[in-house]
Amino acid sequence: MTERVGIIGVPPLETIRRLRDERADVVDLDATTPNINVEEEARLIPRYYCAVLRTVLSNGLRLDLDRVYADVGRGKCDGARYVVNVLKHELRAPVVETRNEDSERRGNPVCVSSLPLVEKFNKIVESVKLPDGAAGDFPASRPRCGFWGVPPRDFSLLELFPPETHVFGWARCMENKTPADMDLELEFDPEIPTVFFAQSFCAKNSIAYYLAHLHPMGFYVDGDFDISASTRAKVEAFLELNGVVGARRS
Amino acid sequence: MILGDFGTSYTKLVDTASEAGPRVVRTIDLEPGVRADLGTGHNARLRSDVVVNELVALAMGAKRRVAARSFVVLDCGSRDVKFVAFENGGFERAGWNSECGASMGFSIELLEMHFKLDYRTLSVPEDHLTVACGVLGMSAVFDAVAQGQEVGVAVARFVKGIAVSAHRFAGCPSVLHLCGGLCENPLFVSSLPATVNPLGRFLLLDGLREIAGSSGQPRLT
Repeated sequence: MTERVGIIGVPPLETIRRLRDERADVVDLDATTPNINVEEEARLIPRYYCAVLRTVLSNGLRLDLDRVYADVGRGKCDGARYVVNVLKHELRAPVVETRNEDSERRGNPVCVSSLPLVEKFNKIVESVKLPDGAAGDFPASRPRCGFWGVPPRDFSLLELFPPETHVFGWARCMENKTPADMDLELEFDPEIPTVFFAQSFCAKNSIAYYLAHLHPMGFYVDGDFDISASTRAKVEAFLELNGVVGARRS
Repeated sequence: MILGDFGTSYTKLVDTASEAGPRVVRTIDLEPGVRADLGTGHNARLRSDVVVNELVALAMGAKRRVAARSFVVLDCGSRDVKFVAFENGGFERAGWNSECGASMGFSIELLEMHFKLDYRTLSVPEDHLTVACGVLGMSAVFDAVAQGQEVGVAVARFVKGIAVSAHRFAGCPSVLHLCGGLCENPLFVSSLPATVNPLGRFLLLDGLREIAGSSGQPRLT
């Protein structure tokens, strides 16, 4: 019988390969699941907390899992380590901690491709479950702007960007399968206007904010469950005033 | 061409073909048929053929009016506070506080009417109330009055609190280019802890003029 296995963060390649060999049904608990309302776990986790980790907890408790592999290494955050502890107490299924120290960069063709930014992020997120990364041929694009950060909880933010947006930050580490690769995470292209994004309440806000300050054309934003109208307007204005996109008129 | 800045409390309209200057109408008094060719502001979508992002209109208006290459322009409106900072002529950063800092301008006007005050006659107080948003700030005013503080002083401390918050929000610049209806409030302007260059309440219309004259493609550099 096929086991349903949840993963949190980016577990080591060895773990992902084993799950593939076991033909497990792998579920990424960081990803939004339709019909799961995180408010139902409000008794277990504060409302003003990382939207991704609140999602992890709700997914973990509601998806009827046989096992969970949670990466709690340097590539993940303190918040995840604590939420994994909550899951251990609340779940009957075993929660196995992993520490991903994989350092071989597997490449990031999706990050620099010409796919629309939403599709890029869909493939990057999906690639976490795939030992060989995203399948397909992804011709590189000439960048017009950059998006630095983690996959946002609300992908509608990504719709504001042109396809020639290159992805940096932890999302690039995800595609490379090296989530603890801080050097790679801190890279950016100073030649292109870049939005530095972090989830609200995430420790990465400090580095996103600082890198935006270092970058000659950097702009910092954060976002919670939904991207607010003012954040959307700020990003639109940034892209428009830097000539990245044409004027949006409705 | 009709340009419109459709704010929450006030609408500013100008006809570029006319020699007459812009006119201000209370938004609740605006007739249903009034529309703009190019519009910005909170209610622009309801009344404009083409809608321009408010920060873009603000940035383009400021570039038209301010000679400096590095500066901060702050728009204090009825419902929200927003700013754009420029560095060496290019966009540096922007902020738009429509949630936590909401309704500051609206509440300043509301308190003036409620207590029948005239902001031209109030002095800038030494200290200020801590004002996170208009609604919470008004509670602080009522608390201060209940504790015996004179109404005019309590409201002036509230106005100064808003000015200090707005200045912090814009990054504490030493020189602040200010636009929006609060330019016409001497207590607010004097309460800002910066050298203030008031640009009046039609700066977004200036931005729309700039965009209308550049085939609708704003570029700062």
